[in-house]
Amino acid sequence: MKLPEDRTLLRIACVMGLLALPLMVWSVLEPTVWPVLVALTLGQAIGTLSFVLYLVVVVRDLDVVKRFRGRAAARKEPTA
Amino acid sequence: MSMLSGMAMVFAGLSAAILSVHLVRGRNEGDNARTIPSTTKLWLLLGLGVFPIAAAGSANVAGFEATQSRAFCGSCHVMIPHAAEASMPESTALSAIHGRNASFGKDNCYTCHKDYGMYGFVLTKLGGMRHVYLYLTEYHSMPLEESRHAIRIMKPMPNSTCTSCHTTTTPGWNKVSAHAAALPNVRSGELSCASPGCHGFAHPSTKLGKELPLDGGAR
Repeated sequence: MKLPEDRTLLRIACVMGLLALPLMVWSVLEPTVWPVLVALTLGQAIGTLSFVLYLVVVVRDLDVVKRFRGRAAARKEPTA
Repeated sequence: MSMLSGMAMVFAGLSAAILSVHLVRGRNEGDNARTIPSTTKLWLLLGLGVFPIAAAGSANVAGFEATQSRAFCGSCHVMIPHAAEASMPESTALSAIHGRNASFGKDNCYTCHKDYGMYGFVLTKLGGMRHVYLYLTEYHSMPLEESRHAIRIMKPMPNSTCTSCHTTTTPGWNKVSAHAAALPNVRSGELSCASPGCHGFAHPSTKLGKELPLDGGAR
């Protein structure tokens, strides 16, 4: 599966973050059963996912995978 | 609002501001620039990582504190009679007497029903999740009048709940002749502190008519 471009991913992450924040804070304003449960499950899941998307963008931007592959290939090359 | 709640709101507000600004600016800039500037990534680290984690952390702690309050326990309709009884200012029911305690009165459901011991907090929270599950699957549509009598504590309240505060080793406790006589039975759990003839039911208004005469009638 191919992920969208970095800018699109970041926009999705921002929208998800904006969705997650009120869910997480809802329990503070109304500390009853459902707000607390929603905050601890749905709010945190969406919030975590938005941060993971951000991390994906950072990892792609830094070319971390390519660097690891490059190092592995260099190690495999026979020495003269 | 507690300080933790305030912190959660501030962190969430800061995060929302950063994310909104990024979305608005991103729309204006379009997709022309291929690389994302480092400053943008740093701002987004705050907006998507640092501030939301801080907001979630403080909201979680505030939420866990809220789950210990009587208001929280009474927010499921089937618990309204229990919570209302514990709030009665002149009732002599055990729950109401503890509800008037200055130290933990507003959290008296949790104080008495929590598991005592090293893993008490975790076990109590797991038990609470079971309550939510049962509420969703069995008691959600149950009329209040039916639930008042139909819902019972899963297992009898252990005396250790009472003795964790009211220790049986002090001279004051043993000075009461009924205490001294019942000590072996209280410690073994054969005789409940909250039984008719002793301190009575914690929630007498939820008992059936046939149980009340044992306890000297309705309070």
